[in-house]
Parts: sequence; structure tokens; C-alpha cells
Amino acid sequence: MITVIMKRLFDKNFIRYSTIIIILAGIVVAGIILLNKPVQPEKNKKDDKLSVSGNYHNSSDVDLPGSSGVIKEAKAMPVYGHWRNFTTKDGLPSDKAYTVRIDGDRVLVGTHDGLAVFENNKWRTYTTKDGLAHNGVVSIDVSELTGDVWIGTLGGLTRWSSGKFTTFTQFNSGMPNDLVYCVYCDGKDIWVATGGGAGHYDTRTGLWDIFTEQNAPMHEPWTYGVSAGDGKVYIAAWGGGVIEYNKETRHFRDYTDPDGFMEIDLQPDDGVVHDITTATTYADSILWVSTYFGMSRYDGKNWKGYFNTDSGLASNFINFLRAEGRVVFVCSDNGLSSTDGTTWVTYKKDDNSENGEAIITNGNMKKEVPLSPSISHNFIIGVDANENYLWVATSKGVSRGELLH
Amino acid sequence: MKPPLMILLVPFLISILYFSELSGQVKPANYGNIPDELVAYDKYMKAYKYHFLEPTQFYGAGREKLPPSDLKEIRLGFLGPLEGSVILTLGKQMLQGSMLAIEEANKKGGYKGIPYKLMIHNDVGLWGAAANEVVKMDDEKVWAWLGTIDDNNSHVAIRATLKLEILDMNTGDPDPTFTETAIPWVVRNIPDDRQSGYVLVDRIFKRDKHSRVAVMRVNSRYGRVGILHFNRSATRVGYPIIIEERFNDGETDFKNQLEHIKKTSPDAIVLWANAKESALILKQIRDLGMKQPVYGSDRMVNPEFLEISGSLAEGVVTTCQYNPDANDPKLKAFKTNYLKRFGQEPDVFAAHAYDGTNMLIEAIRKVGLNRVLIRDILTDMKTFQGYQGVTGKVIFDATWNNIRPIFIAEVINGKFKFSPAPPLEKSEQIYKKPKSGYSY
Repeated sequence: MITVIMKRLFDKNFIRYSTIIIILAGIVVAGIILLNKPVQPEKNKKDDKLSVSGNYHNSSDVDLPGSSGVIKEAKAMPVYGHWRNFTTKDGLPSDKAYTVRIDGDRVLVGTHDGLAVFENNKWRTYTTKDGLAHNGVVSIDVSELTGDVWIGTLGGLTRWSSGKFTTFTQFNSGMPNDLVYCVYCDGKDIWVATGGGAGHYDTRTGLWDIFTEQNAPMHEPWTYGVSAGDGKVYIAAWGGGVIEYNKETRHFRDYTDPDGFMEIDLQPDDGVVHDITTATTYADSILWVSTYFGMSRYDGKNWKGYFNTDSGLASNFINFLRAEGRVVFVCSDNGLSSTDGTTWVTYKKDDNSENGEAIITNGNMKKEVPLSPSISHNFIIGVDANENYLWVATSKGVSRGELLH
Repeated sequence: MKPPLMILLVPFLISILYFSELSGQVKPANYGNIPDELVAYDKYMKAYKYHFLEPTQFYGAGREKLPPSDLKEIRLGFLGPLEGSVILTLGKQMLQGSMLAIEEANKKGGYKGIPYKLMIHNDVGLWGAAANEVVKMDDEKVWAWLGTIDDNNSHVAIRATLKLEILDMNTGDPDPTFTETAIPWVVRNIPDDRQSGYVLVDRIFKRDKHSRVAVMRVNSRYGRVGILHFNRSATRVGYPIIIEERFNDGETDFKNQLEHIKKTSPDAIVLWANAKESALILKQIRDLGMKQPVYGSDRMVNPEFLEISGSLAEGVVTTCQYNPDANDPKLKAFKTNYLKRFGQEPDVFAAHAYDGTNMLIEAIRKVGLNRVLIRDILTDMKTFQGYQGVTGKVIFDATWNNIRPIFIAEVINGKFKFSPAPPLEKSEQIYKKPKSGYSY
């Protein structure tokens, strides 16, 4: 028996074939290891030419109209840099900023401890002592018609007009509920999203309408966001998808996730990605909808879903979004994203420094542009943009970025 | 085998082994204890996205915040149905359970010598008032809060708690969608109606072999969402509900609805309602000469149900989130102390509130007075995973929903007898694996 084994061991063919098998197996295993090797993050590959820091000089490398001009990969998407951050040390009443709204030359910031107004490079705070309904200011909008500032707080809605604060609550008006998650000015009409339903205030008649599951196709009265455009109002109904209200016909319709299950999204492009919606925004004939499970885009005919796994979205947990033209700014719990539906620019701060990067993605293309400094925190709650600046409300301060052009 | 063939075969097998794992549809563990045969659409196609398989992280700021140095009391919020609600008795039990835990903790010195104090709020079911109560709790500077039972109010409240970043320990709302909101500030220590629904489907259709089942439920969110997974699952296993009748809270005459049910000749009836209504319906079912077996939701496990229905309750089967008769010294001590303190037996809401309050106290003991750190430790899936309370173990899924096995409760000789719900087994006759997946 031993002799047979020894003969077999030293059989030339056996050794030859075994060697070939081992080599081939080795090649296959090595190939698999190489294929599986994690790609080194671009984060560490600092490109000084693209670094957007204090000594940055504008580039003339403009590739498309409206583009940032400095980063070709961003195509027509704006990119913001030269970030300046504001906290309580700079005069904010609280580092926890819920919302931000640009109002001409001044900027209004809602914080946990009051309304902060940035004007002439200084912050001024307004609280309940000045007439605010509550110090927790979670939403702000400015009427284009009158210039009045409408302030949604944790304890009622406040109108700031000609220096005077007037408060609406569910006890002194037709407000559905005192916790105003979102306020939106649409001409003479003021819309609010509250935990007790959506409210509509006609500033000319002084009358309120309340929309709940009793008179609108909502599953429940809980609403979280509201926006309007092209004759329609879009309500983010928590658990009920998006409720569309046609101002002319006064008819409602709803958009929900067709699969009907909370725990899955069967197909990403069959409707809103989840029924728990957190915000809506409408611009350039596009409705954008955020959820805690991803984001959706609706062009009136087709839906498109976006997740952090198949796009440049920073995170699926989205607190708020705002569209300006064809670009939507997305406030997620782990970074600020912006997109036109194709190209993405996502801003993230490094964990252990004030620096960060703008991550530009388009399909398989990905470019990381170092920013120094970056946004003040990655937990983004509010955003607003004008021609030159992007303002961001975060869990730890407010940030202002300059358009790089 | 000839060597040349082996040369080709060995690398081929290695490749197959690797790439089958890489690109194949590896099905993750089902969320929420969903039996394989009840995974949504799984018979037909794979979903593009499966949610709730990983916990939602909280990336916000606040962990660095130091506690105030001049505290006289450690405040915990309480939100429950204490006035103007049809479930006042449940709210009272819940409050008493929390109070007992607080009193025991204070006898042991509170937190570093500072006593705990419960900041009590009524949840009032109208116009989203629960959200306003959470705002008040923020103003009161509570470190975390407990509540509530009614799912309308719970849902409204947790949106406020997300905004204000205060952890909510829910000990009484079994609405499955409550934790499916992905809010990283919500923890629930009581198993939900999804679990009850699966257990009842298994019992009614597979073990008791019924096929024509009627449902009678309260026309509220509790009834609508509570019965949801039972109804869906019944359809998925091949026995859609033949009729669903509804009634409003406070109704006492159910003859009209029961006449409708009677005409469909069901072979079993499921009730999803509070204890009092369930008992009244049961009596009227028998008054109409209907002899079908009756099953129901866990709110039947209540002395009021047994008191009103009397001997008619015999044989009624429902579920319970824990075993109140378990031979556990901790549970026995709790029951003794509770009876001594409040003069009544604790119910499921009292027991879970006691556990939930103790979990908050334990979290504060471990991390101190910081809302984010309290949240972090309760949701880290390690520290409180397996926490042993008087109601049993806490087994959190990725939504921090307690998915520990629940119990069957059956009325035998005038009392509820509890037994572990049998594990849910896959039925090959019903369940067929999809032949192909959906891909993009």
C-alpha cells in the first residue's frame, strides 16, 4: 500500500498536473482578491489645483453656461466653496439651526432658541420676548407679494410685518396645530404643514382652511412639508406620500408608493419611493420629494427614484430639500447634496477637522474636490440659495458657501 | 477523474463558488420576523430596496454637550391617555408601571443622589396635541420620555421628538408602522401587532385549519393598522378574509354588523378591538346563535374582557406580548410590589412601562445626562440587546422594535392560560421560491 502511494506521489504526470492545477487555482484566487480589493478612497488624493481654500483664484475654464467653471466634471451644476461658518460664538442664539431663508440683503435663520437675522455682517436675535410664538423656529418663508416674513415655530405661526410680530395658534385662529413644520408663501396664500393637518390661510379674507384625512386623500392628518408651483400645492403627508391640491379645481389627488409596503421599495421608478415623505419642492416643472428612504423626482409623467447606493445622494435620510431652477439642494443627515437629476455635487465635512470635500458624481465618474474649510456639520436641516450664495442650516451652526464662478 | 479535466474543473469550481456569492441574490434575514412565505412580493420578484435591515444612525451634533450642574431633579417625560380617552384604564396602568420604577430608583438614590421625576402629560387624541406635549417636555428639559399607547398620538409625537432630539421609549403602542418611520430617536420594548398577526395566521389557518374567516374591528387607527398584517398574511397564505365589519369606539350594539357576518357563514371570527367592546361583541355573537371559534387582538387579555363575557370567553384565543404567569422571580417581585403599591394586578401596559422606565434609568446611569448619549446607548444594539426585564428579554431588530417571541393566550376555566407561540414554520405547499429575480 505504502509503495503504491509513494509511486503515485512521484508519478511525473501527477506532479505535473498537480502543479498546473495549483498555479491555475492560484491565478484565479489572486484575480478574485484583486477584483475584490477595495478602491482606495479619492479622499486622500489631494489635488492642489482643485483645492477650494482661502487662496483660491477663479478659473476661466468655463465649460457650460451657469456652471461653476472651475470643475469640469460638475458640468452645469453650481459648486460652492469659500465656506464661512457661524455658531453661537458668532452671535447665533443656538448652534442647532433648523432652517434658513435668504431675504434680499439679509438672511433669516431659525434656531432652537430663537430667530437669528444676519444683516450688515451682524447677527441679531428675536425671541418670544419680541413676540415670536415660540423660540424654536423650524420654518421660514418670505412673501414675494408683501415682503412679510412667515415664521413656523414649535408653538405657533408668527407673521413678521413692518417690524410687528403677530401670532397665530390653534386657539386664536384656524390653525390646525401649533407645531408648524413648514410654512410656504404662495401669493396671497399661506400654507402650513402641521401635525394636525395642512392649513391654508387666505391673507385677504383672513380665513383658514384645514385639510386632514377628513377632507383630503390623506391616510392621517400628519403633514411635514408643503410647497407650490404651476397652480398646484404639494403637501408631504407623513405616511401618505404626496398630496397634490389643484388651486383652480380645488381637487386633491395623492401620490403614494405603489407597492404598498413600508419595508420595501419594489421598483424605484414606479412612484414616490416611500410613503413617509418629509418635504416637497417644485421648480422648473419638476416636483422633488424627500423621504427618510431616498428621494424622488416627478416631471408630471414619470417618477425617478434616487438612493445613496445608485446616485450621488449623501444619505437616504433626508430632512428637507429646496429646488432653485433645475437644481435641487438636498439636506440629509450625513451631508448636503445637490443635483439636476444627472450630475451630483455632495458636500461633506471631515469628521476630525474643519475641512471636507465636494464630491462630484455623474454615472461612474467621481471626483472629490477638497474644501477648506467645509460646511460646519454634516447633519443638514435647512438650505437656501440665491445667485451667489448657498446658506445651510445644520445641527451645529450655519454655513455660507460662495458660488465658484 | 483524468488530470486534464481536473485542471479545468478546479479553477472553474473556485470561480463558481466565488461569483455565485458575488452576484447571486443573497436574501438577507427578513425584517420584523416576517415568515419567508409572507415577504412582500417575494413569490414573484425581488424588491429593489429592502428597508430596516440596518439601524438608522444619528449623525447630528450634541454628544459633546455637558449636563447642567445645578439640577434638583432628573426629569423623564411621560405621555399617556390619562384624560378624555377610551383607553384610560390602559393609560393608568402604564403610568403606575412608570411610577413604580421611578420610586424604586429614587429609593436607591436616584441618579448620583438626585431624584428622578416623571413629567406627566396627557396625550389627548385631538388635533395633533401630542406633538405640543413633546414640545412642552423639551421646554421642561426632560432627558427622555415614555409614551404612548394610542398610535395616532404616538405617531404625531415622534415627529416632534425627532425634531427636538429626545429619545422616546415606547412601551404600549403595537402599531407596526410606528418604528417603520426610521426615526433614530424611537425605541419600543413591546412586541408589535405584526408579530401578533403572524402568530394568529399560523394558529387559525395552519393549525386550526380554518379557511373562511370573518373580521370585526374597531374603526380607528388601532383597528385598521392592527389588523393590517393579519389580513395581508391571510391573503398571502391563500385564505383572504371573507368579510370585514367595523364599528366605532363606544358602540354597544353590534347586531347589524354581526348579521352581515352571519350571512357569510364563516368558520372563525377575529375581533380587533379594546377589551370591553370585544366582550360585548362576543356576547352578541353567541346571542345570534353563532358558534364559531373566536380569536382576537391582545387587548382582550384584560380582566374587563373576562368579567363582561363570563363563561362565553371559554376557548377564546388571542396573543400576549409576554407571559404574565412566568415563573420569574423578577416578575413575581414586580407583581407583588405593584399590587401592594396600587391595589391592583399589573397589566401588559404596566409591565412594559416598568421595564421601559428602568431601561431609561439604566441608560442614564451608564452615560449620564446627555440626550444624544442616552439615545446612542439604547440603540447601539449591544448594551440593551438581551436586556432582561420583568416582561422577558428585549430583542431589538434594526428599527429598535422588540421582536422577541410572543405568547398565545387562551381562556381555559375562566382564566387566560399562556403558552409560547409556536415558531413560524415555512409551508412548502403555499410558498414557492421565485424562479427569477428583478434586476436593473
